[in-house]
Amino acid sequence: MLLPFFEWCDGLAMSQAYRDSTYLFPLTQALHVLAVTVFVGAIVIGDLRLLGWGPVGQSRASIARSAQRILLWAGLAVLVTGIPQFTTNAMTYQRSWLFVFKMYLLAVTLLFTATVRWRVAIAEEGRLPSWVTRAVGAVSLALWMGVTISGRLITYYG
Amino acid sequence: MPSIVPTFAWLEGLAWTTALRESPYGYPLIETSHVACIVVFAGLVIMMDLRLVGLAFTHAPLAQIQRRLFPWQMASFVPSTATGILLFCVDPLRYYRNVFFLAKLVLLALAGLNALAFHLKTYRTAEGWDEDPLATTTARVTGAASLLLWSLTIVSSRLIPNNWFK
Repeated sequence: MLLPFFEWCDGLAMSQAYRDSTYLFPLTQALHVLAVTVFVGAIVIGDLRLLGWGPVGQSRASIARSAQRILLWAGLAVLVTGIPQFTTNAMTYQRSWLFVFKMYLLAVTLLFTATVRWRVAIAEEGRLPSWVTRAVGAVSLALWMGVTISGRLITYYG
Repeated sequence: MPSIVPTFAWLEGLAWTTALRESPYGYPLIETSHVACIVVFAGLVIMMDLRLVGLAFTHAPLAQIQRRLFPWQMASFVPSTATGILLFCVDPLRYYRNVFFLAKLVLLALAGLNALAFHLKTYRTAEGWDEDPLATTTARVTGAASLLLWSLTIVSSRLIPNNWFK
């Protein structure tokens, strides 16, 4: 069903330029990993706070709000560096179960982060039982580590 | 000066390093664990750096962020170092002449020295400016240097498979 889209990505001038260059792809990949590191750092500090292990002197909401700016900027960098990697290898990725898995997991994780995690993080302190905030922190941490790990494994088993 | 090559060749020839190198899962799984731990470690170091340079979490006292993140930084640093050493042992002859690997080691050493200088000198005076959204100039410079060094470390790590300069 998505095959025409993958073929269109594959045929883009940008994809061809990436395939022709020795340096473009590896450099973009390296910057992607850097952006992912910053993004995950901003997720982990928030999750640790939700779990009650992070900077507990600060409210969950203030940590979440400050981390959100980092998430938006780093997320943008992840996207900008991720797109050319995808279009260059679109025909390979469409057959990669790990890539497809990572994308589904990413979609679920983003949805969870933007809805449940955000609501819980900015909720008034004491309004939710502590097991709820801890569970949300644990689920978020597991989901984001899952996305990171499956992304790394594409190189080997994709 | 005696060459290190025979030592690396011996290391590479050991039964367990050979088994890990030839296993379809050994190397990828160790490397993936290495990356997962580094992402958490460097990610949290970068959060601390962003606080130091005054770009994030400025409402939180510096010492509080530092004290609460430090155990997690260490909990991810130890396994990332252990898996990193393991990865080197599996393929030492491939790594020891790789420019990006050598650059990574130098950058790691510089980042370590920078962190040490911060803990031994700058952080000692932190009580005076702990709650200021903007840290002292020295602290901000240390934070910026750390941001730069860790970013370059990550970039050079990911470039190791591309041996552009043989």
